[in-house]
Amino acid sequence: MNPLDHIPEEIRLTAARCRHYAMCKIDYLDTGLCPPAKKTPYVGYFPQGRMDLCDALAKGLIPVTEAAVDIISSCTLCGSCDRQCHFVTGMRPMPVMQALKAFLSDFQKKGKKVAVIAEDKPLKTLKGIVGEKWATNDPAHLIAYANDPFPLAERQMPGYVVLPGNADELVEIVRYADRSHIPIVARGNGGSVFGFVFTRGIVIDVNRMKKIQLDPDNWSAVIEPGVTSFELQKAVTQQGYRVNTAEPAATVCANIVCTGLFSTWANAYGVGADHIVDMTFVDRHGTVFRINDKNAPNVFGFEQAVLPSPGICTEARVRMHPVTDDEEGILVPFTSLADALFFARDISRRRIGLAVGILGGHYLSTFISPTESLAEKTRDIFSGILEMTHVVSVIGDKYARNSIKQMVPCVIESNTLKMLMLGLPRLAGSGWTDIVTGLESDRPAYEAVFSEEMLPLLEQVLAPSPETLAAAVDEELRKFYTKLYSRPHMTDMVWLAMFRIVSARMSRHKHMFAFLIYVPLDRVDVIHDLIASFADIAETHTIDHDLGFITPIDFGKRGILEYDYYIDHTDSRESEKIQQAMKDIEPMIDKLSAATKGVKFLKYIFSQGCARKENFLYT
Amino acid sequence: MNGGHIRATIGDISGKRQSKSTRILLTGATGFLGIHLAQLFIKKGYTLFILARPMDECSPEERVYKLLDWLDPDWNQSRVHIVSGDLNCSDIGLCPADYHQLASSVDEIIHCASDTSFSERKRPQIEKANVENLHHLLDFAANSRCCFFHFISTAYVAGKRRGSCPEALVETQTFFNVYEETKYRAEKTAAKRCREEGMRLNIYRPSIVYGNSCTGKTLRFNAMYYPVKMLVFLKNLYHKNTEEQTSDGAEKMGISFAPDGTAHMPIRIEAAASRGINVIPVDFFTAAFFAIMESAIDGDVFHITNDKITPVSEIINYTQRYFHIKGIQAVRPEDFPSESRNSLEILFGRYTQIYRPYMKDERIFDNGKATAILKATGISCPVFDYRIFSTCMQYAEAANWGNPA
Ligand SMILES: Cc1cc2nc3c(=O)[nH]c(=O)nc-3n(C[C@H](O)[C@H](O)[C@H](O)COP(=O)(O)OP(=O)(O)OC[C@H]3O[C@@H](n4cnc5c(N)ncnc54)[C@H](O)[C@@H]3O)c2cc1C
Ligand SMILES: NC(=O)c1ccc[n+]([C@@H]2O[C@H](COP(=O)([O-])OP(=O)(O)OC[C@H]3O[C@@H](n4cnc5c(N)ncnc54)[C@H](OP(=O)(O)O)[C@@H]3O)[C@@H](O)[C@H]2O)c1
Ligand code: SF4
Repeated sequence: MNPLDHIPEEIRLTAARCRHYAMCKIDYLDTGLCPPAKKTPYVGYFPQGRMDLCDALAKGLIPVTEAAVDIISSCTLCGSCDRQCHFVTGMRPMPVMQALKAFLSDFQKKGKKVAVIAEDKPLKTLKGIVGEKWATNDPAHLIAYANDPFPLAERQMPGYVVLPGNADELVEIVRYADRSHIPIVARGNGGSVFGFVFTRGIVIDVNRMKKIQLDPDNWSAVIEPGVTSFELQKAVTQQGYRVNTAEPAATVCANIVCTGLFSTWANAYGVGADHIVDMTFVDRHGTVFRINDKNAPNVFGFEQAVLPSPGICTEARVRMHPVTDDEEGILVPFTSLADALFFARDISRRRIGLAVGILGGHYLSTFISPTESLAEKTRDIFSGILEMTHVVSVIGDKYARNSIKQMVPCVIESNTLKMLMLGLPRLAGSGWTDIVTGLESDRPAYEAVFSEEMLPLLEQVLAPSPETLAAAVDEELRKFYTKLYSRPHMTDMVWLAMFRIVSARMSRHKHMFAFLIYVPLDRVDVIHDLIASFADIAETHTIDHDLGFITPIDFGKRGILEYDYYIDHTDSRESEKIQQAMKDIEPMIDKLSAATKGVKFLKYIFSQGCARKENFLYT
Repeated sequence: MNGGHIRATIGDISGKRQSKSTRILLTGATGFLGIHLAQLFIKKGYTLFILARPMDECSPEERVYKLLDWLDPDWNQSRVHIVSGDLNCSDIGLCPADYHQLASSVDEIIHCASDTSFSERKRPQIEKANVENLHHLLDFAANSRCCFFHFISTAYVAGKRRGSCPEALVETQTFFNVYEETKYRAEKTAAKRCREEGMRLNIYRPSIVYGNSCTGKTLRFNAMYYPVKMLVFLKNLYHKNTEEQTSDGAEKMGISFAPDGTAHMPIRIEAAASRGINVIPVDFFTAAFFAIMESAIDGDVFHITNDKITPVSEIINYTQRYFHIKGIQAVRPEDFPSESRNSLEILFGRYTQIYRPYMKDERIFDNGKATAILKATGISCPVFDYRIFSTCMQYAEAANWGNPA
């Protein structure tokens, strides 16, 4: 590796494109975690932190400090981050890691001076609480806590980062901060938006607190705040249970507190207080309370306002759910949103199926495509040629699936989806789409294509195999993708819905900006108007946009709808567009919410995630 | 057939045509038949106004010019005027000034634009294109100097009739699909309005049109081409997968390949033994259209069809011979119960479902009136034999069935 006296701009740009979804903090592809980060879970040691470090060094925002040297030197160039990051974002961070090393090598060769950041009193106190290793004020670390996935939040450097090892240490930190009037913020994996995890004071990173204890007799798991959805789901699945989780890299406690944790499983398992048996918090002043304590502050109520959270959760007892061994996924295609809505509501009110979600065109094609260009082609084929503009994705047992098959003329069963996923690169080739286009029928094309008797042909067309799928990615990654997709769970809808490792792909082509609104599911008119308003505003501001998903909740009485805007977050003009669009969106939703029962903007639920859903869905 | 005040005498019309001063408005020129008609009238030296719409970021000019170049790179642009409009609008997509300008320039209208899909699901769109849009054009015609309206219809307005289908406007109740039904309604609409407005009306009813009988050139690979394309697709797909040994799919379907590459594909295709497909080549269509237009100045209905129906078994034989396939058979519907069908047959049947009525057609199109004119001008429809079939397939393969690689 040749030394580099500066970080080249194209490398910096790659680094700046990090989505900050923290997917590199979970071992979701069995590549193993970034080895140095596994030992020392400061964000700075994770590939995500290294990307921020690279960007900051390139821009001269921070000097080369002791921590910078340590972070860069610790990279083994093992390549795990290249595979992980490519899987969700299509990016290859290895050149960034190599450039960092080359840059440091030049720095050291030239005998330049490494900056040493002096310890001040708060740092000494924090180290006194957590130990020398687990508190820092080194900018090379702080910079990794100055970003989140929100494209508009200005970078904000905290004063200190501290990683408590247990609840007692965490409480002590809170009390110290309260006494010293230093602002604090808790940070799980920083996957929230709007700069919720930013502070000028102390960031309490809970990543050393990762204990999970299952209590099967009470159908619950007791977890520490550093446990991610992925890790918890993995632990409970091994014992034959399921928990309701959403983004895999999100810490479960933060997710519940922050958004009430919604996912397609909300159809069966609910949202908000539905997830929890109990939680322990430490409030801003260091008072510890359990929410089941009769004298505890009432976290179950809801107020239509932007409120602070009840405190920092140090432990949660979350509900586990039973699983049957005949669960499988099924996709029900539709030619219109209205039909998809009716169906999703219908099965929800009949209690058919567990996880239910209406997916728009972008989602399905993006989730199943290993590259952005293939996703685009797939989307065109799905909606343009197969005429499936929306699908309802359902996870259910065999009775649920049999009922669904009796309700609709066409379904895509899990084996067919598997076939589609593994044969996707061939979908567009071979003249088959041309044959389907010519297939003029009184029924939508997808009905013929996915009918049972046609599946042998589809199989011939797709020649599905891990090798076929891997043909879509860069040559050097093919071996890895072939091996990855040889594992059955990678094409298993149930596993994918539980672990959600593909959902972060939705921002692969551009950074996503999601709006979430609870809606009355029986008001198709309201939903249509809402979607039309989102689309109009996006068009006015020339922003890419699409419906994300809609999931029924509480017997289909309500639903949660996500509408997404897409921008290039490295382009300031694009951020400006979103800022302008926000000025139209917020009043639009507020107005709709005031006029229509059942419409609630997630913005007001943030930090009230422990509330009973009834308190915001039916008020 | 025209009543009321006739806008122009036969003498006026013939005189103008002979001096080539007739100005014609043509719709549907971005389509298969329309572009052939455009080429013909340009060659004959007529002044042609072509009404077309932009599509996929291509202007009407670009669209029409590209097609004319494809037919004949040396075509003469001097008397062609492309009018950007849209039949979906009541003012045919023109501003008042352009509307009046065009109205005062047009002597005759050839209406070739049509939605040619069969699918019931697209009924609203098909009704709009084939009936509602015709009203817009007829309103325009009424407001214009147009004295002759030429309407391209289809022989299949005959609907679910069996046996003889007269070359006249007859009451019909049942149809195989929405396309046939709307074309029938369009004929009635045109007849009524033209009668009221004193415009002469010719209705031209071609059967199924394929490519040029000498060159094989065609714009569309649907209708007669589609089932053949489907068989070739299946053959190639299974052949490739068998060669690559990616699956035992061919074996499961009963498909096998001889060492010389000949495919054995056990497919029975439903077709009535005595019936077949009525197909005409596009060069015959245009020649016939022109001859009828020149001769039939009073206004009438004409079948532009083939006297010799091609049995499905013959097309199957041609296909097998040309593409080296064996095992395909035409069978009578009564000998082909659905429970006895193999996967390949179900598959083929499903994909070719909409063409079924045309593959076992029991309609016989009277064409005495057209034949009288065509005979006098020495025009006859070629029999669809193996030579023509091969020419068409050579073109289809070279054009990758309409999909530039
Ligand atoms: C691509 C993407 C998709 C998403 N999809 C979903 C989805 O489907 N469903 C959903 O529910 N959310 C979703 N989110 C939102 C996100 O998952 C949640 O905001 C979640 O909280 C992030 O977890 P985290 O560990 O990264 O939290 P952080 O971002 O670290 O923290 C979130 C908030 O919780 C606070 N906090 C952190 N730890 C604690 C604690 N122990 N106790 C109390 N408060 C704490 C933080 O101060 C902050 O205010 C999505 C986000 C992204 C970027
Ligand atoms: N081809 C045959 O075998 C056959 C047989 C019998 C009768 N016909 C008749 O012959 C005529 C031409 O057929 P074709 O095979 O040439 O069809 P085609 O290739 O499908 O072309 C159709 C033409 O109609 C235009 N059109 C369709 N919908 C329209 C709308 N809503 N508004 C304006 N224009 C519209 C198209 O314009 P755009 O390109 O802008 O869409 C195109 O120019 C039709 O009237 C058809 O009924 C054809
Ligand atoms: S290459 Fe470096 S940054 Fe990437 S995973 Fe390996 S050790 Fe971590």
